[in-house]
This record gives sequence, structure tokens and C-alpha cells, in this order.
Amino acid sequence: MLKMTHLQKVYRTHLIETHALRDFSIHVRDGEFVAVTGPSGSGKTTFLNIAGLLEEFTGGEYWLDGVDVRGLDDNARSKLRNEKIGFIFQSFNLIPDLNLFDNVDVPLRYRGFNAAERKRRIDEALTRVGLASRMKHYPSELSGGQQQRVAIARALAGSPRLLMADEPTGNLDSLMARGVMELLEEVNRQGTTIVMVTHDPELAARAQRNVHVIDGQVTDFDEAPKLRDPDAASRGAEAVAANG
Amino acid sequence: MEIRPILSALMRSKVSMILIGLQVALTLAIVCNALFIIGQRLERMDRPSGINESDTFWFGSNGFAPGYEATSVQKADLALLRGMPGVVDAAPTNSLPLSNGGWGEGIGLQPNQKTSTAQTTIYLVDDHGVATLGTQLVAGRNFKPEEVQDITFGDNLRPRVVIVSKALAERLFPGEDAVGRTIYVNEDNATTIIGVVERLQQPWVDSDSIEFATLVPAFMPYGNATRYAVRTEPGRRDEVMKAVEQKLGETNTGRIIGRMRSMEQIRADAYSGDRAMAIILGTVIFALLAITALGIVGMASFWVAQRTRQIGTRRALGATKGDILRYFQTENFIITTLGLVAGAVLAYAFSLWLMQQYQAPRLPWYYVPIGFVCLWLLGQLAVLGPALRASRVPPAVATRSV
Repeated sequence: MLKMTHLQKVYRTHLIETHALRDFSIHVRDGEFVAVTGPSGSGKTTFLNIAGLLEEFTGGEYWLDGVDVRGLDDNARSKLRNEKIGFIFQSFNLIPDLNLFDNVDVPLRYRGFNAAERKRRIDEALTRVGLASRMKHYPSELSGGQQQRVAIARALAGSPRLLMADEPTGNLDSLMARGVMELLEEVNRQGTTIVMVTHDPELAARAQRNVHVIDGQVTDFDEAPKLRDPDAASRGAEAVAANG
Repeated sequence: MEIRPILSALMRSKVSMILIGLQVALTLAIVCNALFIIGQRLERMDRPSGINESDTFWFGSNGFAPGYEATSVQKADLALLRGMPGVVDAAPTNSLPLSNGGWGEGIGLQPNQKTSTAQTTIYLVDDHGVATLGTQLVAGRNFKPEEVQDITFGDNLRPRVVIVSKALAERLFPGEDAVGRTIYVNEDNATTIIGVVERLQQPWVDSDSIEFATLVPAFMPYGNATRYAVRTEPGRRDEVMKAVEQKLGETNTGRIIGRMRSMEQIRADAYSGDRAMAIILGTVIFALLAITALGIVGMASFWVAQRTRQIGTRRALGATKGDILRYFQTENFIITTLGLVAGAVLAYAFSLWLMQQYQAPRLPWYYVPIGFVCLWLLGQLAVLGPALRASRVPPAVATRSV
């Protein structure tokens, strides 16, 4: 699904070169739930941006669902991003002036679906996150957890192959965080690959595999995916709730 | 086009939309009416006077010496003027088109008619009048030298023959040949029309009957004052003006040569009010358009700055740079269109008010659709800079922490 080999990302100014990622290699297989962890400034967000085609890289290779993304122009990257990737952001990033229906509609319009198809997908996605009855509400009328659920619905509505989650529970209290994590796990069980960036080890423990990044390099990772242990997941959630 | 979600998002921040919409509405209403008024003024200023203006000038001679005899001086002056190098012809005249001063007279088709058939101006000229003014004789003939009367200021005007402008001839004898017909100037004085000129305006640019003029063959000094019109060879007017002033001053030191003005100066003076009005309204239009454009640029720039994260999110969700550009252009199109619809109503209401208050003509319908197109274009141009800036917002902005 996602394969980076010897990836480099260097930020250059006229005075200094900063190596955000160096010799960065990772392979995420179809259907996996991978947590990318590391301290602040380790390169997690740079990895997320490059993996999500939000930013370009300066060296190495990156294959996304069989597509070599090197040399793709901005339009091609936008199209690929829209078709293959669903995003979940720490701050939800819902558009405050649009109701839930229109928020979920945003990526679908860029995809070029007709109105009937968009409506079907929006209904389905909002039903899946349990907010179908509130589609005419605005984000400000929802709790943080509900807003993140809408963001998940928006990410899922286009049926992406990969879900990129950036600290998806970072702005939520423990109860809401638990709900969101359970939803993500359910989405993963239904076949969607998830890459989640987090600095929270408790949260990372719920993923099938952890990749630890320090100073722009992968320092530690589980080669083989763990078999999901629902009890372990539930214990992890309890731990999060207790710590929250 | 994602008009519906953009419109519903706009409805959530109505104040900005209403302010810009109102600005567009007022601009449309004022610009349409101001442009129409400017067009009317320019049309007025563009009316031909019927005489050769580029090579013609006009001046006066005022005798002050004891024993000064204006009639004989006038005849000597004319002989001198006609012989000067560069002069095509010269004629005495009491007034000229655009000069804003002259003689008005009523004309009847019957003697002692209670109400005149037409109000005309009287230009007192000799047999060189038509050639000097350069007006085109389209029917009949010119005056003969023996038809030119010597009259004194204060005498009743009793011409035997006259030449009239075509517009006057048509008013007096619609659809008929006016040459040879009798009209009555000055109550019971029967006069024969011997010629018709293509066009000859009255001296007053605001006159309702500006095209009704009559040439009367007469020398009539105002006391010791006489006036002359001189037409020169093309391109020699200024040079001849100087020579005439010098030569006539030298030939008779008992008078002053003055008020020497080219027809171009006379035209400029006659329409100075119209020109000032056109310039003022033009400035107002320019200022309004500039303020509206700046308002749109300001508002769009503010929105782009305010929504940077939102733009980044849209990019992350699959919007291309073109999608972001189109979003802001569509948003501007919606606001401008709402403003323009209100502006169209305002424009016609303003025109109606001008009609009622100032007897202004009705605003032609096509001004508003043309205004729509211009303001749409202005709005799109104004929003282009901020929209391009928005399209350059990188998608990675979506993942930056607040």
C-alpha cells in the first residue's frame, strides 16, 4: 500500500540545511493499522505530509498503492490524494461555515461525483459514524468527539484505500478519544489501511504495528503485524481513559 | 460550480457580503447614470455648429477717436482683410454660433402673427457671409452685394431677403421647398427666403431651437463697434490672427482691436460647463470603481488570510490550485451578482428620480446590462490577486498546529 525507500527530506535556506527525514524506509501493507510514534520534532509530521502527498520529498522513492509518486505534478498529486487517501486531523479541520452534509461533500465534489452519488455516500458515511440525524447541523453545534467523527466520515466518504490520521485524539478528552479510536479500529477491521501519527504510546499500543521515528530516521519497528487482541485494545483504551 | 455550498457559507457571514454587495449596487446605479449623463454631454459638445471652426476667428473693433465713422471704417477694414495673405474670406457679423450672445427674433408665416412659428437667431452678414462661415448652401442662392442694407443700431429690422438654416426651413415649410416663400420677420415685414444652408446653429448652446438660424444681409455697427469673422487658409489661422491685429491697429489708430478669439476657443468656452461636468462625473466614476475594486481586494485578501487553514484542508482533501482559484472567483461572482441585481433596481430608480426632478431623459435599458458585464469583470480582476495567493497555499498547512 505504502512503500518508502531511502526517503530524504531536506529543507534548505541560504544559510542552513535541515534534514527532516534521512534514509527513511517504511512498508505498510494493505489492511494494516500502523502507528508512527516519536517525540516532537522527530519528523513524524514531515513523514505524514509526504505520505499524504501534502509535501514533496527531496530523495529516495515513494510508491503509493502501486503508483510511483516521484515527478507527479501538483494536479496529479491532488487527484491521487483525493482518490486514495482520507485525512483525519488533530484539529478536525472541518469548515465552520458548512453544515455536516456539505463538509463531508467537500472531497466528493473534487472527485467529480454526480449529486445523487455524493448524497448516497454522504448519507452512508454519516450513518457509519452515527451522525446521520445531524447532517444539517454546523460543526460549532457539535462536541469535539462528534466533530472528529464527522472528519472521519469525510475521510471515509470517498472510499479511500489509506486513512492518514494525525494525532486523531489529540484534542479530545479520554472518553471521546476512546470512541474515536474504536471507530478507527472498526474502519480498519473493514479493510481500510490506517497510518496514525501520534506521540502517545498508549494510543500507539492499540495499533497492529508501531514505527518509532527519531531525528528523521526509523529507529525501531515491528516487522510483522501483530494479531489484533480485542482485549488488549480495550485494556489500552482503559489506560488512556485512566491517564486522560 | 459549487454555488450552493458557497452561497450557504456566505449566508453565515452576511455582514461582509452585504457591505460588498451594497458597494457594488451603489457603484452600478451611480456609474450607469453618470455614464449616461457624460454621454449626453459629450453628444451635446459634439454637435456641429455648421460653420468652419478650425480656420475661422472673430474679433471686434471699437472706435474711440472723435469723428470716427464706423460704417466707412467697416467697409475699408473688410477690403483690407480680404486682401491679406492667408485670408480666404471675411465678413461683418454681429454674432456667431457658440458665442453665447446674439439677436433672437420670432418668425411668422402671416403678418402680425400672435405666436411665432419659430424662434430664430439673426446673423447680420454681407454677401461674403456664407463663404466666410463656410456653411453649405443647399438650395437657392447667396446674397447679392446690392441686397446688403446699411442700417443703424436701434432701427427696426426689415430685411427683404434672407437665407435660413435647413432645420428652420423644415420647421416653417415641412416637406416643401422653402426657397421663394415669404415669411414675416418683425411682425409685418414680408421677407423672401432666397437660400437654405445645410446647418447653422444659434449662438446659445442651451437653446431649444439651436438649429434655427437666419442670415440677414445688413451692415449694422453697434455705435462705433463692429465685429468681423475671418476664415483663413487651412493651418494659417494663428499667423493671420496676429497679422490682422497688427495691420488693423496700424491702419486706424482711433480704435482698439480686441476680443480676438478663434472659433476653437469660442467652442471651448461655450461647452466649458459640459466639459467640467463630464470631468467631475468621470472622476466620480473612476473613484467609485477604484473604491469598489479595492473593497473587493481588501475583503478577499482578508478572507484568504482568515481561511488559510481551510484552504490548506481543501487542498489536502483533493482540491487543485485551479479549484481554489475558482472557489474565490465563484464567491466573488455570487456577491457581485447579488449586488448587481440590487444595483439594477437602484439604477432605474435613480434615473426615474432624475427624470422627475431635472427632466432628464430616461436611462436607456442597455446601460445596466453593460454595467453588469463591466462590474463582473472588475470583480473578477480585483479578486484575481487574492485568489491566486489562496491557490498557492500549500496543502501541508492542514497539518500545521494552530
